[in-house]
Amino acid sequence: MARSVIGTLLTNANLSMKEFFLTMQEFFLFSVRAFITIPKIKRYWRDFLDQAKIAGADSLPIVLVSSISIGALLAVEVGNLLEDFGAKTMLGRSTALSIIRELGPLIMGLMLSARYGSRNGAELGAMKISEQIDALRAFGTDPVAKLVMPRLMAALIVFIPLTAIADFSGLYSAALLAEHYHKIDPGIFWNAVFPRLVFKDFVVGFLKAPVFAIIITLVSCFNGFIAQGGTAGVGRSTIKGIVVSSGLILVANFYVSKLVLENM
Amino acid sequence: MIELQDVTLRYGNREILDKISLTIEDNKIKAVVGPSGVGKSTILKLILGLIKPNNGRILIDGVDITPLKEAQLYPIRRKMGIVFQGNALFDSMSISENLGFFLRENLNLSEEETERKVQEQIVFAGLEGYEDELPENLSGGMKKRVAIGRALIFNPSMILFDEPTAGLDPVSSKKILALISSLRHKNNLGAAIVTHIIDDVLQVADNVAVLYKGGIIFDDETGKLHDSTHPFIQSILSDKILEQ
Repeated sequence: MARSVIGTLLTNANLSMKEFFLTMQEFFLFSVRAFITIPKIKRYWRDFLDQAKIAGADSLPIVLVSSISIGALLAVEVGNLLEDFGAKTMLGRSTALSIIRELGPLIMGLMLSARYGSRNGAELGAMKISEQIDALRAFGTDPVAKLVMPRLMAALIVFIPLTAIADFSGLYSAALLAEHYHKIDPGIFWNAVFPRLVFKDFVVGFLKAPVFAIIITLVSCFNGFIAQGGTAGVGRSTIKGIVVSSGLILVANFYVSKLVLENM
Repeated sequence: MIELQDVTLRYGNREILDKISLTIEDNKIKAVVGPSGVGKSTILKLILGLIKPNNGRILIDGVDITPLKEAQLYPIRRKMGIVFQGNALFDSMSISENLGFFLRENLNLSEEETERKVQEQIVFAGLEGYEDELPENLSGGMKKRVAIGRALIFNPSMILFDEPTAGLDPVSSKKILALISSLRHKNNLGAAIVTHIIDDVLQVADNVAVLYKGGIIFDDETGKLHDSTHPFIQSILSDKILEQ
């Protein structure tokens, strides 16, 4: 009895592993396809512009709200901590480093994973379920070139200015809180920010934008492309896309920081 | 002409099609009937190269498409048009955009020529005045006619229909079947129809293949279907609609 249960468990584990590796292989080929179709961008420039608006201008409110909140929160909490050590004047430096290197791009990445990634997953999943993706292939159009590549290019291009906006709005809200909550003179705050920031800090922060763009777009689009099982299947694939891309963003955030800080 | 030779398809451990062989001749209407979930729509996807079989060959006008890569399949696919069960119209595009989409994508026609071809299909589908409507604003029968118009856009020699009358009211079903017949008689087009509605088959098909438990149990002229003594065929002829 116990032997047969163990046997069944091993068989199931084996099948799951096989399925996992097949999916990874499929994802790899899908990603390669998305990159090698980039030269077709001219043909799909309208799709690119639509996606750039969705990923960029339409995402601005959520990026602003989250970065302003995080900047303000960081100023309050770090300011209180520094006050205990009599080092409140260091608030500008510590806030700037946290926001530019880590929190600005990370919060933007997570928010865009939820917003842009969920939209991609749901839209492409619905197209898959309703056979629209099959129709594209059946009538001679490469669905990856038409649907995925413009999304990837749009994300790669607009995530960088979005990161800059997230950084600036986060820092500005921190400066306001420093002035009005901690009574730190704005000159002292900004003087602790700019002379202390070095090129490496910007590289760490801004390198994350394209990395996150690739993760969010490819993971969410791939999950849309493999959706099955009706409307419930679209929901499942969308959730999976957000969960996986959010997890990967957190992991990539750590490794990009580590690699750049250790090697520059 | 489309030929399936000893085609086997498995999903995991589940065998969907087991060494089936099938021929769909030009200028003839061939129906493939069988219960839901037996793999009828899968046959159409195999013919278009949207999925690959585990074994066997699929010949389109003598060319084996099974080893071909995606890009090599595109010109072959254009020899056929397909009408999907749920129509697969692009829901964010108007009717005329749906009809013109693949022309703009694949052919270097002038905008005037594209518009002329789109208008031809609008007239064919009897949808004058609906050019700017989104598919969601059309009835089931109208959407089906748009899907048929789209399938004809590259002047194919064969059209593949996946459950062409499923979900339609009797009047719309009759119109769609008449349209399929007229395509064959007026435009000299061949067609492959997969359906679970036996009445459709009896009305329009020249030949019929019955798919049952992964194999073909009957493949002959439609008129000879009544002569079959197979219990499953007897049951479908009496029940008319196949459900499992």
